[in-house]
Amino acid sequence: MNSISLTQFASDILLITATLIVYQLFSAIQQRLSAIWFNPMLLAIAAIIPFMLAFDISFEYYFNATKPLNWLLEPAVVALGFPLYQHLSTIKNQWKTIVSLLTLAIIITICVSFILTIVFVAAPEIAVSLSLKSVTTPIGIALTEQLNGNSSITAFAIIIAGLSGALLGPGWLHFIGVHSAKAQGLAIGAASHALGTATVSKISYQHGAYGSLALIVSAVTTAVISPIIITQLSLLFLDM
Amino acid sequence: MLKKNSLLVKNALYSILIIALCLLVGKIIAASLGGLPGSLYGLILFTSVLHFKIVSADKIQQTVAWIISHMGICFVPSGVGIINHFNLLKNHGITIVAIIFFTTFLLLSIVGLWFERITSNTTTNKNDHKPDDKRSSNSEFPSQ
Repeated sequence: MNSISLTQFASDILLITATLIVYQLFSAIQQRLSAIWFNPMLLAIAAIIPFMLAFDISFEYYFNATKPLNWLLEPAVVALGFPLYQHLSTIKNQWKTIVSLLTLAIIITICVSFILTIVFVAAPEIAVSLSLKSVTTPIGIALTEQLNGNSSITAFAIIIAGLSGALLGPGWLHFIGVHSAKAQGLAIGAASHALGTATVSKISYQHGAYGSLALIVSAVTTAVISPIIITQLSLLFLDM
Repeated sequence: MLKKNSLLVKNALYSILIIALCLLVGKIIAASLGGLPGSLYGLILFTSVLHFKIVSADKIQQTVAWIISHMGICFVPSGVGIINHFNLLKNHGITIVAIIFFTTFLLLSIVGLWFERITSNTTTNKNDHKPDDKRSSNSEFPSQ
């Protein structure tokens, strides 16, 4: 009995250590390359999956072993209050405009995502997950769990939304005639959360400020309104 | 050297304590009021204590920048969960990715075009060409 729990403990430590090393390795390479698209989170996931398949480790086993990493999610969300504090003076004059604009845009996008997924994939838990893809991961995951979505699909969708907006967003916005730094930052922060914000922060200071602002405002807005909208949409589409 | 390190450790412990306290109070609020997740109440609380200068931003800055730049590691476990959904991705992967792309660009376009129109209507002079006026908040912050 004792030796079994000891082996269990040893293998848990091994899995956490391996995860940390893989992540740290990719993050060191990213810093060396100074390329934001070389995303350590995405690459660590991509590296760990084949390893698990090769050694026949189930997700439940892995998730249980790496629970301490998952616990750190909540303090990390709290830490996001710091950039918000830094940008409070920027937001003061414009906050009504920004909050109402982002709220409307988010409502439209949640509805479109939900309806498209119901129509083309026909799975309510995936519809919930895809509706929540534009917020920063910890909040997206928390909301997904609250609304009976599928948290690994949400995590996947959030990464794709982040990467697509971060890599193609600035080009797309120039293409449709949005040239101001404020509007570009706000749009990319709203659609592509922390990943997008980190990318555009390198373009200019205003990009970064408006990106962080949008990231946080849209996280709070989504947290408040998505439970209402998604419950209504579910009633509308699934009880027919 | 030693003094510098001990200051660093002190500041880190101070930051962790403040964040933990905010999270704890946030969780208590969430448990009694409901609504938002506890961590979001914690975020709002953290911003408030910084804004009202109840805690020192200078002591916290470095640790928080470190936390935020390494946040990605916390998402690896849930991201690996995709392993349980290979079948779903095989059947619907392209549709799902297409929906994500479409709605991401929809959101980008709505926010970008709208905000550009509003700001160009209200401000006749172009602020973009003189960014120095706007540097009222603190130093640049790495947000990933």
